[in-house]
Amino acid sequence: MKRTGLSLALLWGAAPLAGQGVVIAPHAVFMDARTRSGAVLLYNPNTEPVEVAISFFFGYPATDSAGIIVVRTVEHPDSTSPSAASWIQAFPRRLTVPPLERQTIRLLASPPPGLADGEYWARLVISAKGGQLPVTGVADTAKVRVGLTLEVRTIIGVFYRKGAVHTGISLSGLRTAVVGDSLAVWARLTQQGNAAYIGSAHAALVDSTGKTLAEMKAPIGVYYTMEPRYALPIGALAPGRYRLRLDLSTAREDLAPELVLPSPPVRDSVEVRVP
Amino acid sequence: MMSRPRLVAVLLLGLLVPRPGLSQGVGGSVGIDANVIGPVLTITTLSNLNFGSVPKGVATTVQPTAAGAGAWQIQGSKNANVTITFVLPALLTNIQALPGSTMPVSFGATSARWNRATNNVAGATAFDPSGGTTGKLGPPANPYIYLWIGGTVTPAATAKPGVYTGTIIVTIAYL
Repeated sequence: MKRTGLSLALLWGAAPLAGQGVVIAPHAVFMDARTRSGAVLLYNPNTEPVEVAISFFFGYPATDSAGIIVVRTVEHPDSTSPSAASWIQAFPRRLTVPPLERQTIRLLASPPPGLADGEYWARLVISAKGGQLPVTGVADTAKVRVGLTLEVRTIIGVFYRKGAVHTGISLSGLRTAVVGDSLAVWARLTQQGNAAYIGSAHAALVDSTGKTLAEMKAPIGVYYTMEPRYALPIGALAPGRYRLRLDLSTAREDLAPELVLPSPPVRDSVEVRVP
Repeated sequence: MMSRPRLVAVLLLGLLVPRPGLSQGVGGSVGIDANVIGPVLTITTLSNLNFGSVPKGVATTVQPTAAGAGAWQIQGSKNANVTITFVLPALLTNIQALPGSTMPVSFGATSARWNRATNNVAGATAFDPSGGTTGKLGPPANPYIYLWIGGTVTPAATAKPGVYTGTIIVTIAYL
């Protein structure tokens, strides 16, 4: 069948999608200098094959001027950057995952000689494209039909650890503001040591009796310095004085404990006045 | 009843549990330790962006709230932050006509929406897909983000008949 004919058959035979995508596990890869290898498993739960392409870049979470966490991409990291993007390879880099099957992507690190102890980072990009195109209906070459295919890219962190690695975090500049029905919370977080601080942030608003009125918990990754903004839904809070407590710890429910670098909890609090 | 993505996650984790006497992985590759597999991450395309048949010479818009909107479901670690960015086409190509037959497509400041945990576009937050946004996955019971996108096509009065297609790339970065 000619390519166009095949495309049209796909186009006109396509019903609303039952689902296109690929399951990726884990969502963070940790490698060490002993094995220099890692793996990512892909599973295609759908009835159509999925084309997958793998690539790397150097980037890390940071915050913008509004406190929104974004991935900061560094296209040309200098020699002082802890980038592993140029020396970690994926095998294979292109593949097709058949329906209801799984494929393993092997990651192999070839670090430069004399690499100093520490943690090195890369971001793994998994691009997945399904086979179906979107336009439905009967064949009518007199009409103008329009449909756009959606492709997905997933970016996960890759961590390469060599020798003694340790992490920590400093917390400063904790402040709050009531914004509508939320309490906005800002803090300056600075990573310590030679590895990223992977942990959780827990913010709680308590009254004078210690009763928790609102709270928020979110996983965080601090690679350098960031000033994230969090929001606690407080509704219509009665005027008075309250206290906002912010706790940072390396506990992560979504990561195996042996993968998380431990560090003592860090806490701070600040008074909140509601007029 | 267990949702489909969650069922898939459970089945996948089941696949990863080492079983004595059975080879692991695909194509002879070495298996993965089950203990390095945390929550899975899945981005599922629920529907493509479909304008259907459009009249020549008249701009046609599909709102993100419309049935023809493109839609994704993102499943991951509860309460985790992700960034959502797009690569958007400016021109669609007629795959039936000779090369060079194209149609402009555009996206506005409210062409995309996202919602935490709930598959409900009416209550979703609008954003400009060209700028992207940061989303937060839902709580333990519903660790999802739902995402929708619409757009506007502007066929010329002389547009050649046929099927015009393009690709929207959505990138989800786990933070």
